[in-house]
Order: sequence, then structure tokens, then C-alpha cells
Amino acid sequence: MDSMLLLESAINGALVGLMYSLVALGIVLIYKSSSVPNLAQGSMTMLAAYIVLAFANNAGAPLWLAIVLTIVTMFGIGVGIERVALRRLAGRPIIMILMMTLGLEIFLRAGSMTIWGGTSRPMPLGISDAPLFLGPLLINRAYAVGAAVAIALFVLLVLFFRTRIGVVLRAISDDYTAAWSVGISVERGVALSWALSAVVATIAGVLWGSVQGVDQSLAQLLLKGVTVAVLGGLDSIGGALLAGVLLGIVEGLASIVLDPLLGGASRDLVDAAMLILTIMLRPHGLFGRHDIERV
Amino acid sequence: MSEPIAAKVLSLNNVEVVYDHVSLAIKGVSIDVPVGGMVALLGANGSGKSTTLKSISGLLAAERGEVRRGEVQFLGRSIGGLMPQDRVKLGIAHVLEGRRVFEHLTPDENLIAASAVRSRNDMARNKDRVYSYFPRLHERRTVASGYLSGGEQQMLAIGRALMTQPKLLMLDEPSLGLAPFLVAEIFQILSRINREEGLSVLLVEQNAIAALEIVSHGYLIESGRIVMHDAADALKRNPDIQEFYLGGTDNKNFRDIKHYRRRKRWLT
Repeated sequence: MDSMLLLESAINGALVGLMYSLVALGIVLIYKSSSVPNLAQGSMTMLAAYIVLAFANNAGAPLWLAIVLTIVTMFGIGVGIERVALRRLAGRPIIMILMMTLGLEIFLRAGSMTIWGGTSRPMPLGISDAPLFLGPLLINRAYAVGAAVAIALFVLLVLFFRTRIGVVLRAISDDYTAAWSVGISVERGVALSWALSAVVATIAGVLWGSVQGVDQSLAQLLLKGVTVAVLGGLDSIGGALLAGVLLGIVEGLASIVLDPLLGGASRDLVDAAMLILTIMLRPHGLFGRHDIERV
Repeated sequence: MSEPIAAKVLSLNNVEVVYDHVSLAIKGVSIDVPVGGMVALLGANGSGKSTTLKSISGLLAAERGEVRRGEVQFLGRSIGGLMPQDRVKLGIAHVLEGRRVFEHLTPDENLIAASAVRSRNDMARNKDRVYSYFPRLHERRTVASGYLSGGEQQMLAIGRALMTQPKLLMLDEPSLGLAPFLVAEIFQILSRINREEGLSVLLVEQNAIAALEIVSHGYLIESGRIVMHDAADALKRNPDIQEFYLGGTDNKNFRDIKHYRRRKRWLT
């Protein structure tokens, strides 16, 4: 019986983990195409969820249309972020760009508080609360949907990075100056990567909004996203997926085993431990690229 | 030093480049490259060779440099205000110093990435052409480029530039860090491309011996100024060039260094 409980938490954990991967994929997408670690992915996820609700509730659009409109809007916001905030930083030290994304994160979070307040709003996706039965195991339906979407997105991104545009983006990430020298418009490439990542944030925002409601706490998914992205290797799409599963399972089991001992909150402890240990023991993550050194 | 008037693919008139608004890197450089010609720009470290190339390819902005005076003309057209990608589209290719291949991409992907300004059909044709010039790249086309040897990386850097279908190929120290036989091989391929396709080449080198073997003309740059310009053969015979750039004619003692300095008379 106890082992059944553990198995159930492991499976649900894996599904939640895949939903973390949704956030991590946005981070990986930008890193893989411009070498910028994006710390604004959490609040972009939150912002997207708010915009969906604005289209659905304030403008009265049906939810599917609201989501489509939000994807278009977020694409534009991604392009705008590059144009306004990042273009002037091209060629500057990476730490300045990192701080800029952190500033964006805080700005978006605070801005949403001003516009929409702090009350949690529901995101009615229409996924039933009734669990799925997998034999004797109860599986959360919303998590299962989120996990399926994450896997689909993973496949799309892997294919995308094999296309001509995808190769160009990876080239930009390798060497900005060399990219310029062969006629690549680095600015447009970076803008595209932010736009795509904003679209990924929309998908994550809708799914997470339906699970836990839409409020500023969605932005805290950044921590999960960063942990998963770093653990998987910042530029590895498959890594983000597997690391999500791994983190989800560890979290799920930890909450069963450790919560009674510690009185709760062991999930965040486990997250932090994973992040810190990864950076200490395997800085390039499970599947990240090494910096190539020839001997 | 008078030359026959030929059509020029590139012409720099009194170009002056400043970094960060203050530091003057090149001071009134004038260079001509005739259509189909092969010209070398020789000089020591920090003399302004790379800056000159960047003023042509438009890569100065990324390093907060700008052309403050003078004009860069490409095929008779002033290209001062153009973005790097627009210059590539016009036909200017710049092979960067230190090769700078996309290390995590395979050679094949490097060539694909370098086709951003060209169509898909052009890309396929250019790739065949590059692989025919550099068969070794074709053998290694699926390895991460960071693991290629220095010579292979230099071939890839040149191949990548050829993917943009240049009319002018500029190379920044392609011989750097390569074994002499590789330098010879790469320079031979460059001459061949120049001969067969009429591609104009501007070759920046510290390795004056190798460079003067394949070019028709050479410019000598010192501290941001062009101090000498002549046909390659004349440069090879010039005693100053022989001493300072071709390694001297006879064994000089280090005590004679002062003598060397004094004889760099074009500096004053």
C-alpha cells in the first residue's frame, strides 16, 4: 500500500515535472539561440496567463480565441523586448543582459500587480477535476494534459532547431560576431528567439493557470524553470524534458517522505538542493554542451 | 608606383576609425582592390589591419568603433551606412581572425548558417562548390566543428564566407597558428578560386613571405597609416621590407636593433 502511494506520487510528480519543463523550454529556447539566460521567463508565463484572461473576460472572447490572440500578442511582446531592452546591449558583457532580464522579471511582476491586483483568478480550461484511473493509481487529469503538451512542444522544438532558421539561431548563440560576418541578422534572430519563447510562455501560462489559478505566484515558476533548465543543460531541449521528469519525481517522493519529518515545504528545499548540486557537480547539466577544448 | 586604371571592386579613401569616440585606430587609410585582383595588406600586430577590414565589413559597431572620416566604396557605391548583413548581400565577405567557426555546429550546419542572405537553391549549389574546393570538409561534415583541426577550421571559415557568394573575399590572418604546409595549401586554394572565378581577394597578413607569393600588390600599414604600396615583386625586393617583414637577409645581431629602428624611415 505504501509502495502504491510512492508510485502514485512518482507518476504524478513526473507529470508535474513535465509541466515544469514547459517553463524550462522557454529558457532553453532563448539560451540555445542567443546564449542569454532568461530570468524573465517566470513573469512572462504569468503575463501571458493574465492576457488570456483579459481577452476572455474583459473582451468576451471564447477561451480558445483568447489563447490564440495571446499567442500573437506575446509574440509581439517578445519582439518588443529585444527591440527596446536588449538590442542596445548586444556585445556587452553577459552579466548586464542577465541583470536586464532580472529587471524585466521584477517589472512584469510588479506591473501585473498594479494592473490586475493580487487576487487569484480561475483559468477555466474545462479539464475535469476527476482523476484518471491507471489501475489502482489516481492520476491528476490536468497534469496529464500539461505533460502531453510539454512532450508535443519538445518534439516541435527539436524539429525547429533542425530547420534552416533553427541552425541560424544556433549559430548566433555560438558567436555573434561570426554570425554578423556571414550576413546573419543577429538582432532579428534574437528577437525571434524571444518571440518564440514568449509563445511557449503562453502555453505554460494557460496550463499552469488552470492548475493553480492566475496570480503573481505563477511567476515563481521561474525557480522551477531555472532548476530544470540548468539540470538538463541550458541548451538541451531533451535535457529540459528529462530534467523536468527527474525533478518532478524527486519532488513528489520527497514530499511524501520528508514532509512529515520537516513539517512541509520540502519541495522547495529539494529544488534548491538540485540546483545547487548541479552547479557544483555538473555545471553543464545532464546534456548541456561542453565548451569545446581541443587538445 | 603608377598603375593602369582598372575597375575597382573596393576603394577606401582616407578612412579614419575611432573606437569609443576617442581612440584613433586607423588614420586616413586608402586602399584599392581591382576587380579580380589579389591584394595584400601587411603589417605587424596592432597596426590597424583588422580595423581596416572591419570598417569594410561593418563589424565595427559591435566593438563601439565607427568610421569618422573618409569613405568606403564597394563597386563604386558608398557603403558607409549599411548594416553588416546588407554588405554581405552586396558581396563583401570577411573571414575573421582566429577562424571563429560555429563550434557547436557541424561543418555542414556552418555552411547552412552562412547562407542566411541567399536562397535555398543557391545554398545547395554553393555547398557543392565549397566541398569541391575543400574535400576534407566534406569528409568531416558531421563532426562538431570545434573538434576540427586548425587547418580544417580555417578551410571551414573560408568555405563559410564563400557560401555568401562574395565578390570580394577579405581574409584576416588565415595563416595564424597553422603549419607552413597548411598555409601553402590554403593559399593555393585561394589563388585557384581567384583565378577560376575571378573573385577579388584582400588578404591581411603578418606572414608577408607567404602572402607576397600569391598577391599582385601589397600595402604596408604601420600604426594605422599606409606607409608603402607597390607590386608584390617590388615589395619582396625592397630592403626595408626584407629586413622587417621577411626575416632579414643576413644574420643580424640583437645589438643592431637600434639600427633597425632608425631605418624604419617611413615612420617619421
